[in-house]
Amino acid sequence: MAPSRALTRLTLLRRAQPAALRRYHSYDHPAPAGIFNTGEQAILSAAYKHVPEHGFTQHALSLGARDAGYLDISTNLVPDGPFSLIRYHLVTQREALAPRRELIFSGDANANAATTVPARIERLTWERLLGNRDVNHRWQEALAIMAQPSHVPASLQELALLVDEIHFQAGDTSVDPTWYTKRGGLSIIYASSELFMTNDRSPAFGDTRAFLQRRLAEGGSLSGAVGGVTQWLSFTASAGLNVLRSKGVRI
Amino acid sequence: MPPSCEKSLMRIMPPMPPLRSHTRLPLYHDFLLTAVVASSRRCISTGARQSDAPTETYEATRLKSLNPRPRKPLTKEQRDFLSSALRVNQTGELAATLIYTAQTPPLVNAHPHLRPLMAHMYDQEAGHLKTFNSLITKHRVRPTALYPLWSLMATGLGWSTAIMGREAAMACTEAVETEIGEHYNNQIRSLLEMFEQWEAEGYEVGTEFRDLISTLRRIRDEELEHLDHAIEHDAKEARPYWLLTSLIRAGCRGAIWTSERV
Repeated sequence: MAPSRALTRLTLLRRAQPAALRRYHSYDHPAPAGIFNTGEQAILSAAYKHVPEHGFTQHALSLGARDAGYLDISTNLVPDGPFSLIRYHLVTQREALAPRRELIFSGDANANAATTVPARIERLTWERLLGNRDVNHRWQEALAIMAQPSHVPASLQELALLVDEIHFQAGDTSVDPTWYTKRGGLSIIYASSELFMTNDRSPAFGDTRAFLQRRLAEGGSLSGAVGGVTQWLSFTASAGLNVLRSKGVRI
Repeated sequence: MPPSCEKSLMRIMPPMPPLRSHTRLPLYHDFLLTAVVASSRRCISTGARQSDAPTETYEATRLKSLNPRPRKPLTKEQRDFLSSALRVNQTGELAATLIYTAQTPPLVNAHPHLRPLMAHMYDQEAGHLKTFNSLITKHRVRPTALYPLWSLMATGLGWSTAIMGREAAMACTEAVETEIGEHYNNQIRSLLEMFEQWEAEGYEVGTEFRDLISTLRRIRDEELEHLDHAIEHDAKEARPYWLLTSLIRAGCRGAIWTSERV
């Protein structure tokens, strides 16, 4: 039956992805190997240099393979073709955030150093958006490839990893349901800002930053309102319970 | 020696030479090592948030230079096991604090002499929750998605057993702590198997894991102490004892099974 076969294929695809879920992160045992092997790494890093000119295409991959000293045909080493190139961009940009963490937070002139967690999240998200600077004019093509059904799970996975990385580097320590709402909210904000950026012609992407800050402020006021209502409800409930107890009701 | 003197002494004197040997240390050595490493790390800390990563500390580099054996990267299964273990422990301690929070007012109202015991058990559980909260943030483990459900169920369980009386409340504690003690023992056993395998292959076990296992042992012992308190306070007198405890134990097992997964 066709639908069930499609479903099996999808499950297989999902299983084939390494590092599929967020897992225990060890500090004193070495990290497991990255998702690209040496051959892929060589071809992709060489091909990545051709992206601004040729886009996230098979052509860029062939040029990269030639630069890396492989035959043109060896782009077959790279399983998903152009999508692997996009994924390489996503992974390298995400991993580039951690080493620059201190630099990012110290601010431009120490006047606007990011001290609170929301401010750090804003800085890191902005820094990650700036990582798209060189490929921004090609990013709409990339988004189209990422939206193809077979690539959607991996793309969403990368988005989730990025958002988790931003929260971790910003020092967010939530361990309750807000862990999920914060990450979900930032995923939406990041994806829409990225889309906004592809049409942004303002100098140094100033409009995108304003857009990002507006969305984050909206998210902040929404979560503030929800938090306020929850706090009021729980206070009222426990106060009511205590009044009943003081009246001698055995509860 | 008062603790403040001890701390300032620690700052002046170089840390003790490492106690580590390749064979597995007896329990109290593990504790000692943890205490030494933990407290002196606090003194050296430079204030940067990530500097508490053991690889960057003075002891760790010293240990490494004395102990050149490599450390093995964690496999996918091991990382899965560790994340689900930390997640389920955090969930369990959350539930435990909520059970005691809900039990305390009706129970203490009826039996004022239980106040110190309940406060003591609650304080220990709150400490455990804090430990696991910081561990899951540090190791980037996802907290359980069913947080609201567990909160509701734990509060309901605590409150209803407390309404049923002192014996029922104690039987609840007994049932929960029996399951939890067994659960921690299983985790410790799996960790020890992991260590043995590493040692057999000639790899070193990181400080992080020695700390983790001594934390688990300490917490397990405290949970079993609660079990003893419950039995001392007539948990076995609850009617119907068998029904109450087997229901609660089955519930605990179900909750553990679920929160290992979601």
